[in-house]
Amino acid sequence: MGTATGIIRALNSGIKHLAIKRFTLRYPEEKLKFVGDGYQFDPSTGVGIAGLKGRHMLFHDHCTGCQLCSIACEGVAEAIAMVKVPEELKQNKKSIMPQIDYGKCVFCGLCVDACPFYALYMTNDYELSSFSKEGLIYTPAQLQVKPYVAQDSEIIITDRGATHG
Amino acid sequence: MTAELPPGLALQKVDERIMTLNVGPQHPGSGHMRIVVQIDGDYIVACDPDPGYVHRGEEKMAEYRNYILNIPHLERPVIHDSCNVLYPYVLGVEELLGIEVPERAKYVRVIASELNRCIYIMYWLAIYGIFLGHSTMFMWPAGDREFLIDLMEKMTGARVTHAHFVPGGVRNDLPPNFEDVCLRQVNYFEKRIKEYAAVFYDNPILISRTKDTGVLSRQDAIRLGTTGSVLRASGVDYDLRKKEPYDVYDELDFQVPVMKEGDSYARSRIPWLDMMESCRIIREALQKMPKSGSVRVKLKPNPKGGNDTVYKRVESGRGSLGCYIVSDGKPEPYRVKLSVPSFRNLIALPYLLKGEKLGNMPSVYWSLNYWPVEADR
Repeated sequence: MGTATGIIRALNSGIKHLAIKRFTLRYPEEKLKFVGDGYQFDPSTGVGIAGLKGRHMLFHDHCTGCQLCSIACEGVAEAIAMVKVPEELKQNKKSIMPQIDYGKCVFCGLCVDACPFYALYMTNDYELSSFSKEGLIYTPAQLQVKPYVAQDSEIIITDRGATHG
Repeated sequence: MTAELPPGLALQKVDERIMTLNVGPQHPGSGHMRIVVQIDGDYIVACDPDPGYVHRGEEKMAEYRNYILNIPHLERPVIHDSCNVLYPYVLGVEELLGIEVPERAKYVRVIASELNRCIYIMYWLAIYGIFLGHSTMFMWPAGDREFLIDLMEKMTGARVTHAHFVPGGVRNDLPPNFEDVCLRQVNYFEKRIKEYAAVFYDNPILISRTKDTGVLSRQDAIRLGTTGSVLRASGVDYDLRKKEPYDVYDELDFQVPVMKEGDSYARSRIPWLDMMESCRIIREALQKMPKSGSVRVKLKPNPKGGNDTVYKRVESGRGSLGCYIVSDGKPEPYRVKLSVPSFRNLIALPYLLKGEKLGNMPSVYWSLNYWPVEADR
């Protein structure tokens, strides 16, 4: 193959893309769709449930304050601290629950694997940016809130190329 | 005066024709490392790669954490290839603890590690394109990676650092309907990477820039101890997936691409051919995978290994990656040592660059499939 033919072929292969649909995702106007409601773990079988490893969700009525999540995190990121909560719960005598610092968290989900009481899950919430370091520290009360996550776009593959839609 | 100094400190006579050039460590053309190049006019006389700027002590950190908590930080050396970096450690711990892995988990691991290999190679290819000033080859792989990253995100819940493999299987089962989505996106991905031939690999400009530069002969490749795509580009048919099959690689049918030239064109083409084989492996593994069953063996909390040592290695995106674990009966390993392909391939750089033009340095350097963070660990 001659040099000129090769260069024309290379250009031609690029020009074909003018007719193909745009693949770029226009974040934040469009947001990706995820499977499930986030990463969860079933301690009875020892197997997790697939989902995005995003911001945690804490179920106050399940948490016993056993600190296993905090112990698991000590070896990874030291993001979990056990703090006092005002509410009185019969399964949580010490009234302590995890508080998570997302400035340190690496979203590995090993704290979720460590929890034997179905109290700590992960959600699809991934937009955690804040103007201050303190804004990244989520108290047990903030972790209790189920987040609303917009999900409207996924990869669609057609004959004329792939696109987000 | 000079006779009293230790050998390394003796003053050297300066040749006025030779100029010493520091490439890096902040330069985007070297990654997090420095290459000290001595040039005579436009030709390289000597070259001294200087890694070590991103040493993070991963091996020492592993001695203070138990076998499970080591997982998130041991995949940090190469975040784009995180499943493959973790693979030898997980296989080694399984042998230490005597765990039998379920069949379905083995297939899930093979799929994850092949997807990761493609993700790594696409990132590597994007950088290779921008090193050669080929902007299209930066944008296409960076965009097409998204199909596989999307699959990994559905599978593991994270886009890059997955923390998916654990001793005894994988963390979670595949999401519902994953097989169809995976097949569709991998097929489209394969169709896309075949288009790279016209724009990049058969492009006469690329061929004239990379052909016959940095030639590594078959004997030198073996003698210097290179691995992976560098070794296979020099005509040595060596792939651990064939030679020492781990998990279910012995049940899968695939070819190992080998080229004889040993120049930087061959070294850049081998990973591209590897990706096509990876797509074949993924398709076959999806077909042969048991449709149901457990994916993880339940372990005791804080599992302890006996007084034992184990060495396991896998074929990563860059070459053979080994992990040596010494256990002394405690929940924490006594020693974890990673034997990384990047560092082995870097050894060949001074030999390849001698006599080359300075303009060929980026293409020869990056064709070695070298990842600075992995070499420093």
